[in-house]
Amino acid sequence: MSVKQALLALLEQGPMYGYQLRVEFETRTGSTWPLNVGQVYTTLNRLERDGLVAGEGVDDDGHVVYRITDEGRDEVAAWFTTPVARTQPPRDELAIKLALAVTVPGVDVGTVIQRQRTATMVALQDYTRLKRAGRAANPARPDDMAWSLVLDSLVFVAEAEIRWLDHCEARLRRAVRTAENTATFEAGQPREVNR
Amino acid sequence: MRALSGWRPSLRMAWREVRRSRGRSILVLVMIALPVLAVTAADIVIATQDVSGVESMDRRIGAADASVSFTTGAGRVIQAFDPDDGMTWDSESDKPAPGVADVRRALGRDVRTVERWEGSTVVSTDKGRTDALAAEVDLADPLTAGLYDLTDGRWPRTEDEVVVNADLASRGPGLGEEVELASGDVRRVVGIAESTTYRSHPSIAGPVGSFGLSERTTDHTWLLGAGPVTWDDVLALNALGGTVVSRAVIAHPPPDSVLDPEIASWAGGTDDAWLAIVALVVVMALLEVVLLAGPAFAVTARRQSRTLALMAAAGGTPRQGRRAVLAHGLVLGSLAAVLGVGLGIVAGRLAVPVAQRWDSTWFGPFDVPWPHLLGIACFGLLGAILAAVVPAWIASRQDVVAVLGGRRGDRKASLRSPILGVVLLGAGVAGAAYGARSTSNGEFAIAASAVVAVLGMILLVPLVVVTLARVARRLPLVLRYAVRDAARHRTRTVPAVAAVAATVAGVVALGIALSSDELENRATYVPQVPMGDGVVSFGWNTDATAADADAVVAAAEKSVPGLRATAVQGVQTDRPDGSYTFLSFAAPGGPQQLLSSYGGTFGSDVLVADRVPPGDHLGIDAAGRERADSALAAGGVVALADGRLVDQVAGLDRVRARVEEMDAEGQPGAVRKRTFPGAVVTTGSHSIGPQAIVSPAAARRLGVPVVPANVLLDGASIGRGQQRDLDEAVSAVADQASVYVERGYRASGETVVVQLVLAALGAVLMLGGTLTATFLALSDARPDLATLGAVGASPRKRRGVAASYALVVGLVGAVLGAAVGFIPGIAVTYPLTGNSWDLGGTAASHYLDVPWLLIGGLVVVLPLLTAGIVWVSARPRLPMVARLD
Amino acid sequence: MNATLHLDDVTRVHGSGPTEVHALRGVSFRAHAGELVAVMGPSGSGKSTLLTLAGGLDTPTAGRVVVDGVDLAALGGAGRARMRRTSIGYVFQDFNLIPALTAAENVALPRELDGQRSRAARKAALAVLEEVGIPELADRFPDEMSGGQQQRVAIARAVVGERRLILADEPTGALDTDTGEEILRLLRARCDAGATGVLVTHEARHAAWADRVVFLRDGVVVDESGADPVDALLEPGMSR
Repeated sequence: MSVKQALLALLEQGPMYGYQLRVEFETRTGSTWPLNVGQVYTTLNRLERDGLVAGEGVDDDGHVVYRITDEGRDEVAAWFTTPVARTQPPRDELAIKLALAVTVPGVDVGTVIQRQRTATMVALQDYTRLKRAGRAANPARPDDMAWSLVLDSLVFVAEAEIRWLDHCEARLRRAVRTAENTATFEAGQPREVNR
Repeated sequence: MRALSGWRPSLRMAWREVRRSRGRSILVLVMIALPVLAVTAADIVIATQDVSGVESMDRRIGAADASVSFTTGAGRVIQAFDPDDGMTWDSESDKPAPGVADVRRALGRDVRTVERWEGSTVVSTDKGRTDALAAEVDLADPLTAGLYDLTDGRWPRTEDEVVVNADLASRGPGLGEEVELASGDVRRVVGIAESTTYRSHPSIAGPVGSFGLSERTTDHTWLLGAGPVTWDDVLALNALGGTVVSRAVIAHPPPDSVLDPEIASWAGGTDDAWLAIVALVVVMALLEVVLLAGPAFAVTARRQSRTLALMAAAGGTPRQGRRAVLAHGLVLGSLAAVLGVGLGIVAGRLAVPVAQRWDSTWFGPFDVPWPHLLGIACFGLLGAILAAVVPAWIASRQDVVAVLGGRRGDRKASLRSPILGVVLLGAGVAGAAYGARSTSNGEFAIAASAVVAVLGMILLVPLVVVTLARVARRLPLVLRYAVRDAARHRTRTVPAVAAVAATVAGVVALGIALSSDELENRATYVPQVPMGDGVVSFGWNTDATAADADAVVAAAEKSVPGLRATAVQGVQTDRPDGSYTFLSFAAPGGPQQLLSSYGGTFGSDVLVADRVPPGDHLGIDAAGRERADSALAAGGVVALADGRLVDQVAGLDRVRARVEEMDAEGQPGAVRKRTFPGAVVTTGSHSIGPQAIVSPAAARRLGVPVVPANVLLDGASIGRGQQRDLDEAVSAVADQASVYVERGYRASGETVVVQLVLAALGAVLMLGGTLTATFLALSDARPDLATLGAVGASPRKRRGVAASYALVVGLVGAVLGAAVGFIPGIAVTYPLTGNSWDLGGTAASHYLDVPWLLIGGLVVVLPLLTAGIVWVSARPRLPMVARLD
Repeated sequence: MNATLHLDDVTRVHGSGPTEVHALRGVSFRAHAGELVAVMGPSGSGKSTLLTLAGGLDTPTAGRVVVDGVDLAALGGAGRARMRRTSIGYVFQDFNLIPALTAAENVALPRELDGQRSRAARKAALAVLEEVGIPELADRFPDEMSGGQQQRVAIARAVVGERRLILADEPTGALDTDTGEEILRLLRARCDAGATGVLVTHEARHAAWADRVVFLRDGVVVDESGADPVDALLEPGMSR
């Protein structure tokens, strides 16, 4: 995932150095997507190469401070106003896993689904617990509100996942039943099917 | 057929709806069938009791074609087809009595005749003697079959054989025994036969000549076996002086035009008052049926609304929707009408023997008046249709939005109806007040205004219910819930409350009228002698002797141990030969008129004695008795005066007597006036008694005949059975003597029966209305009951909820009804108990007795009782929440 | 630790013969004080049956249901009713308020049914209505309230009188998201204060408010999600 635009948006607030950027990013997103410093500096270099930021020299502690350029500001504005495209969906490990589970013989798809659902539910519980207490419960500052919204996104995503898992489970059961009925009809006797 | 085919789906749907909701359908059936049943049974009993001309033929003339009666002294007779309906004759005193030959000549053909005499005779019994209905007729002749009903033994054949009925047999002469007649002749009882007309009076029958009736009776009758006796035959016999009862004429009467105009004017003339009353009763009954069955139809209408909507979606028109409702009413109404009439016939059949017991004449054959029953059935049908249509009409005006939003309950009450209700109620009060004041036919104004007032009250019921709900906060939980729920579902609550209220109003009004009437009767009753005392009077023109008087005294004291019997003489004012002595008394210097009235049961209005007779029969107090005794001892005369004149007569010491004789032709004769020393004493009672007591010396001076007048009885209480024995003992020694025992005012059995019927009817209708409302409310409240159960109400709570519904409907209805019932009830007592005359000026002109027991029972006890019944019979389990996953 | 609610190998069969329906098969289930447990499953899984058994509205075909140490089957109908008045509170999906009573009277219902005087019951009711945030609706009738307000009244009725066990059957079904969250916040608060809550729901978001989520399918417990936190989500500076 590219954090290019996020760092640009942070730099718009004022010039910062690498480590500062990292802290700032993680604070606002609740350390949900942790960054390592190396990743930050690599991205900064690329931004400088593209002319969106400019190095400002070194401060007293020896950190390299970066500043946003005008082109950078334009880029940030465009990013905020342009919706995130969904044409190329990110690779979803869970969907891939299930697709393979269904087609690979010898895999108990039901158990896969159930285990995943429980795990996602645990995560959902934790998100909810965080929502109830702490900064997100009563957002006083914009920072808190930001954190709360991020948390909500995690919640909704987890919920969507669980709903999708329920849906897959139901469809698979229906498919099995139909296959059973067809087999019975064709063979004239019931057949044991593993589920 | 087009019209009918449009009805078919509606009828089919209605029939299915009836079968689906069995409970409610049965409820409606009962509500409509019950009144139909009651009225049918009552009609049948009345029709059976009413022995019409045709039905009575057998008992009047046996198997004969006709009977002809010649009255002594009768000339030409003018009669209606049935002489009981009207008959008169010209007087021709010296015509010889017609005989059989005259009859044969008048009819122009040969006839078979059976002679018959009817009258009464005195018969000896175990205890003495008694009066009995007597008939002399050849009972062995087949023409007389049907006059008497032989239950034991055989018909008499010879002149000394007789039959008696069971009542007489129980008093003395039984089967095979001898019976002694007044003449001293003895007859033998060979059979027990019941008179087909009279049930409970002693009767005796024998061949012609058994009892010497021909000497005593003025009607000589023949039964004719002459083939059909036509109207012309009747007229021919009328000319002879005979009154004819002809089977042919009564069964198939000729047109009215052949009647003599004098008779024709008597017959006919329907009673307008009767019609008005019938109309009133029909309207009220219809109202009751609609109110009672209405709530059930309302609930059905509500549940049907979805079906109706589907019908509309499938292409049905609003008219077909209305038809569905109407069809429901038709189906249930027809079922109920048929059921009610059928069961009513059965009930009538069972009730006839019970009613017979209360009547002294035999009922006719079992009579089912089919035209009436058809009318009753139509009435039931009409009630059902109305009960179906009215709630449906109300439901169609429901708040659609509320219904869609799933909010249960009715629209907010509009203010229009209560205002109209207040207006009607006011009109009812005004009408009642007007009727109370008016001098004639006030009862009808009051009855009409009562209906108006009840209608007004019905319109006010919604307001009352809603107001009650608002102030329900203080009530305990279950009652609070019942009241509020009743207010929410006015469509089903209001008719039930109104039905109860209308019933209670009617019962209260009628109850007040009846009690006040009774009170008036009781208060204005004037005892003839003090309670428990008696008088044996020898009649006004007897020829009883002193020996007879002593015999009566002995017989009386023997019949009732402890009784004191005192023989008293009196002036014989009426004499057997027809002459009459008229006495009057006045006191010089005293009031113009001493007594406002006199007469009574003392055998004479002037007693002759040398001191005031013992006992309190004349109502003379101790001081008066002292003065009277001394006056009589001195050979004087004591005049009696009204109690209110006590001060004015205390000092009077002379009495002037005036005697006027009248001979047998009514011509006045000599007039004598004498003045005597004496006294004037007052009688404390208001009863009608003698006007004076004269000493024997004074009587001799006045020149009036003195005979035994009466025997005064006092000193012991005389029971009813003892009175009958006394009666017979006295009759044994003195033919004309009659015994009177003062028992005070006796409420006629009829009044008590009517009150009981009223109370029972009111209770049944109240119960019906309350149970209807409760049943419907419970089925409506299933969700709430489920919630209560889930929240932790004990299973017995359902009973509490059911009982609360019943209590709310019953209590509110009863209180309202009682309040409104007072208005016509009190108003009607004015014309009912108003007196246009009074005795001695002490009788009040208005009597009011409120039967608090009846009202308290209706208003308090009955609702509680109903709630109790519901409590006991409600299913205790609450419907649990049944959730399907 | 004693469980407030304990279902021990409970089976519930409806009907008989060919039309038999096994709503629950040998389910064992525990809920402790201070715990909110969610029950999830598709329709026909038996989750509502579990709740009605827990509340004593239904009796199991086999197994025991123990609430607060009391075996519900040993009590009669009256005893179970008393439990529902004093120890067990039930919240329905369609509120099930009695339209003929005001909000305060609906809330006071369990107390009044238990014999408490109207005045005292009303006081308790008002206090709870305050707690759920709608004291001003005390004298309104259910007809005059929105769905969310009605559900709050229903919850108030379920918790009045310090009930120890609260059973909620899809309490947010008829409500929008925000209102639903409010309701769950209320339930959670009660459980934190010491009550035991069992919540039947098909919304994962709402189930997540619970300490444990139990998954039912075809009348059997197929899985249960515990309460171990995910470290990566800790806020910087916080420790568990």
